[in-house]
Amino acid sequence: MDFNPCMKHKLIRKTVRMFAEAELGPIAYEIDRDARLPMEVIEKMRPLNYFGLQAPKIYGGAEIDSISYAITIEELSRVCAAVGLCVSVHNSVGLYPIERFGTEAQKKQFIPKLASGEYIGAFCLTEANAGSDAGGVETSAVRMGNHFIINGTKIFVTNGGICDLALIFAVTDLKNPRESASVFIVEKNTPGFSVGEIEDLCGMRANPVSSLFLEDCRVPENHLLGKVGGGLRIGLVALDTGRIGVAAQALGIAQAAFEASVKYSKERQQFNRPISSFQTIQNYLADMATEIDAARLLVYRACDLKDSGQPFGTEAAMAKLYCGSMASRVTNLAVQIHGGYGYSKEYDVERYFRDAKVTEIYEGTSEVQRMVISRAVLTKLT
Amino acid sequence: MLKLVVCIKQVPLVSELPWDSRTGTLRRELAEGMINPACKHALEAALQLKQKHGGEIAVFTMGPPMAEEVLHEAQAMGTDRGILLTDRLMAGADTSITAFTLAKAILKECPDFDLVLCGCYTSDSETAQVGPQLVEELDVPGAANVHHIELIGKTLRMKRISDNFIETLEMELPGLVTITTQEFQPRYVPLKGLQDAFEGSDITRIGADDLGLDMGKLGTTASPTKILNVYSPTAKKKNIVLKGSAKKVVEELFDRFEDKIGGAIRKDLKVEKKYNE
Repeated sequence: MDFNPCMKHKLIRKTVRMFAEAELGPIAYEIDRDARLPMEVIEKMRPLNYFGLQAPKIYGGAEIDSISYAITIEELSRVCAAVGLCVSVHNSVGLYPIERFGTEAQKKQFIPKLASGEYIGAFCLTEANAGSDAGGVETSAVRMGNHFIINGTKIFVTNGGICDLALIFAVTDLKNPRESASVFIVEKNTPGFSVGEIEDLCGMRANPVSSLFLEDCRVPENHLLGKVGGGLRIGLVALDTGRIGVAAQALGIAQAAFEASVKYSKERQQFNRPISSFQTIQNYLADMATEIDAARLLVYRACDLKDSGQPFGTEAAMAKLYCGSMASRVTNLAVQIHGGYGYSKEYDVERYFRDAKVTEIYEGTSEVQRMVISRAVLTKLT
Repeated sequence: MLKLVVCIKQVPLVSELPWDSRTGTLRRELAEGMINPACKHALEAALQLKQKHGGEIAVFTMGPPMAEEVLHEAQAMGTDRGILLTDRLMAGADTSITAFTLAKAILKECPDFDLVLCGCYTSDSETAQVGPQLVEELDVPGAANVHHIELIGKTLRMKRISDNFIETLEMELPGLVTITTQEFQPRYVPLKGLQDAFEGSDITRIGADDLGLDMGKLGTTASPTKILNVYSPTAKKKNIVLKGSAKKVVEELFDRFEDKIGGAIRKDLKVEKKYNE
């Protein structure tokens, strides 16, 4: 067991940090305020392989290991969580399911476009009446000759406003949603595919989260990912990987909030001394540092299991559960340490506080993570 | 084929440098490293030459084993091979012994080089001496503080800012240039490049034995420069309060600080004043 980061992981962290601080740092406040995804930065990220992090090299990806992947998401999110989210979702639940479940033809057709960032990917499970319960999906796919006709509405789609390709969950038999859940690769230019209003959200505001509408959307049958009825399994596998990404986002946000708190506590003077000299603030900082460290170890363990080909679903759920709640606690303390300034948009911790909350919600709420973990615990122990 | 050599140095990433107060040298093992900024511009200059004219780039660095990291980073940017000079005997070398050791390694590993590129100075010691000293050791023509280069056959045309004018210089290759940070903005490192650099990197490690050099020729022992003392200078600032009408205060300010204000706005205020009068 080696707890020291290797030279590659250190260099990946420095590389991503340098990019994020130079390109996203100066605009993070403004793009949150204006709810604008900075396409000018996305453009720069394309040739640097941010959109094909773990995709195979033969399809133009960087094929980095999972710890490198987590470090990349962590470092982007440390500076701008909304862009970290864009990259995480694109790679983990947009691209990866095609790599894992796609036919050779599908891989050849879609992965190079996704890995180069020419296409931005999205993953669409959530609907008005379906989310944690994937069995509640009402979007339908009806076979007509060698096509499927898809009808339905997807909501809260991360990257929705800019996606070029979406993985759509739909059922082929409304009476048997679980057995007939299937995933379709739908490109933006497919007739009947349209994007709804961009959501006005609490945090992660620079990410264009939106609804997607599918009205008699004609999708060729070779765009079916896996088999008819294989949708739930694809969803579960995709989300196992996605959870590592969300955990890494939460970790990055918490790290940023912690660093800001240490800096501020040394600068802010009260009673003629820096507030870092007060034991209460010291205790807060000690708790933040400890929780962030514990969270980081959980994330990297899940990554290590994944790379060594072992089951990692439970550990990814633990990492996501812990990192999400940890990020909320840490950013809450960061606002507290900053006092009135922390409640002002003048300081970044206000944004971190808003950004952190959703990591407890999307890609499986904390409640769902507990279901996943308890199921494993109850099965293993008698 | 154009053969380019770039010498780079790993410098500490942090601004607060952990000094060893006893030896007066930097405790490099405590600081995270990075490629010295000017060296990164030299790398970019070499990469642009390679893109335009083809060829291959060999990167040399001297330092502790962890300095290998900068060779991986250079390879991720697009260089071809890395040579790490690392040996306890090489530690603590001053600029002249560093240049001497680097030259031995360059002549061993890349004897038919066309052009050596260095950063104009390093952010940790700022001597700007290793490049010019390498020129002497390699016995080739050289130019320091260059911001523009153009290769025409075997001639290198260069530009550099000297006081208030731009010099255009030419030299026949092989030669050496040191590159400033004005131009050649370094490219970002692609993540696939990093993955490749660690999967199949071409890095040669060289020690004192490989160069046929012994202790007497290397490191602290051979270095004529001895660091006697290292200390942080304490800044002594005295506040001056100018009083009176705005006009009087401004006039007095200019009288007292004419040179400094002129330097900041790059104008000779004495000349301007005469002209206005």
